[in-house]
Amino acid sequence: MSYVKEALSARELLANLTMREIRGQYKRTIFGQLWSLVNPLASMLVYTIVFAFILRATPPPGNPSGLDIYPVWLLCGLLPWSFFAAVVNSGMGSLLSNAGLIQKVYFPRIVLPLSTVGAVGFNWLFEMTVLLVVLVLCGAWILPWLPGLILMMIVLTVFAAGVALMLSVANVFFRDTQHLVGILLQIWMFLTPIIYPIDIIQQRSAHAGGLLGTPVTVYDLYRLNPMERFVAVFRDLLYNNRWPAWDDVTYCVAFAVIVFVVGLVVFRRKEHDLAEAL
Amino acid sequence: MNAVAVSVESVSKRFRLYKERNQSLKSAIMRGRVSVHHDFWALQNVSFDVPTGSTFGLIGSNGSGKSTLLKCLARIYRPTMGDITARGRVAALLEVGSGFHPELSGRENIYLNGSILGMTKKEVTRKLDEIIDFSGVEAFIDQPVKNYSSGMYVRLGFAVAINVDPDVLIVDEVLAVGDAEFQEKCRQRFAQFREAGKTVVLVTHAMDTVAEMCDQAAWLHHGHLQTVGPADTTIKAYLDSLPTT
Repeated sequence: MSYVKEALSARELLANLTMREIRGQYKRTIFGQLWSLVNPLASMLVYTIVFAFILRATPPPGNPSGLDIYPVWLLCGLLPWSFFAAVVNSGMGSLLSNAGLIQKVYFPRIVLPLSTVGAVGFNWLFEMTVLLVVLVLCGAWILPWLPGLILMMIVLTVFAAGVALMLSVANVFFRDTQHLVGILLQIWMFLTPIIYPIDIIQQRSAHAGGLLGTPVTVYDLYRLNPMERFVAVFRDLLYNNRWPAWDDVTYCVAFAVIVFVVGLVVFRRKEHDLAEAL
Repeated sequence: MNAVAVSVESVSKRFRLYKERNQSLKSAIMRGRVSVHHDFWALQNVSFDVPTGSTFGLIGSNGSGKSTLLKCLARIYRPTMGDITARGRVAALLEVGSGFHPELSGRENIYLNGSILGMTKKEVTRKLDEIIDFSGVEAFIDQPVKNYSSGMYVRLGFAVAINVDPDVLIVDEVLAVGDAEFQEKCRQRFAQFREAGKTVVLVTHAMDTVAEMCDQAAWLHHGHLQTVGPADTTIKAYLDSLPTT
């Protein structure tokens, strides 16, 4: 309980460190915050060319929204994913890059990974706002889904923060973590139906039937991935404009809570040894 | 007056000296162990009390465990055994200016560093003028600190830290920053601090500083507490133990 109290008293520090990250990020660039849009736009361009024109993996039109624009459909899944990946990546390095601070000053260490979550989250908020404007221009009626969207953004942030907490500690004790996780994230992204529709997997998997004589199909394994559920929920809200399936939402929330609690416990246990291990 | 500000109870700190340290997973798995090490006790069973309102000096030769003890007091290290309890707010001046962001202006960094040291935004705002004045970098306060000279950098960091206004201040040889004028300012500041009834714990090699500023002192030797008591007798015991040249 006292830990919660201490963390609460550090919220001002958290806000200041987050501001430091945000302000430092695009300082002395001409385009400033616009740079945070360039990365998703560039990936959007590449994936659109490869998947919509060359491989022709077009998703079904949004139901009931009627939207049928691959780049927009892509962004609805890509923006949540790239937020998650960015939080994991920068959160993981947050303790190492602030080693000097950890060895010289006492403060609740948890603010370091959390402040990177805040800074990346700020970028994400900006990107999502732009996406919302694009969606409205394309004719999607998103207003009723906004509260749900905001809630799910919070759930994803909690999930990403939990993963970042665990990995930031792991990275102090084993520096391999950052290299390994970089590769794993890439594999994870392609195992998540972000740039191609899940229908393709469903069809192929139904065709192949159960694996090794069991009733478990590839599709079932696919659905175990929490990011698959998150992407499905975000697409339902943003692109299809309908309520997401309740089991998807429950799965996301349960995963986020469990991962965050585990991350917190791991962090709490190792927090006091950080100054020596760095 | 005899209340205890910081009590150190049989504190020991062990460091592991690694013969082979596997900071990579590969070697950890291949060798089937994370490390081979032997223990080094930087502090062994150290106990003393720092009375409230005193200026307490920690003296000893290099490698005696002073800095380790200081880091334990500042809660940066956790003692392997024993307990340290402090009454009131503790602030440590181990290195000034750590946590400055080079691209941010001096003013922004005052707020940032202040909150790292545990001040609220209101407090910083209230003390802002005093901090800027003390640091003597008024003209450059809205410039990014990466353009500061090293002296300006340290002075600004020190100005923030000394304005934290803690109940217990822990200082590690940082009195030696800046020019003579700035050092004089610091000395006055410490005097004010003592007059206000605050506690200072100080580590230094300069015996004349200890003799001048401290009323109590503890002498550490290879991680063991040798003597603790009034500053002059402790200093004398320490100096007598040194080989005369």
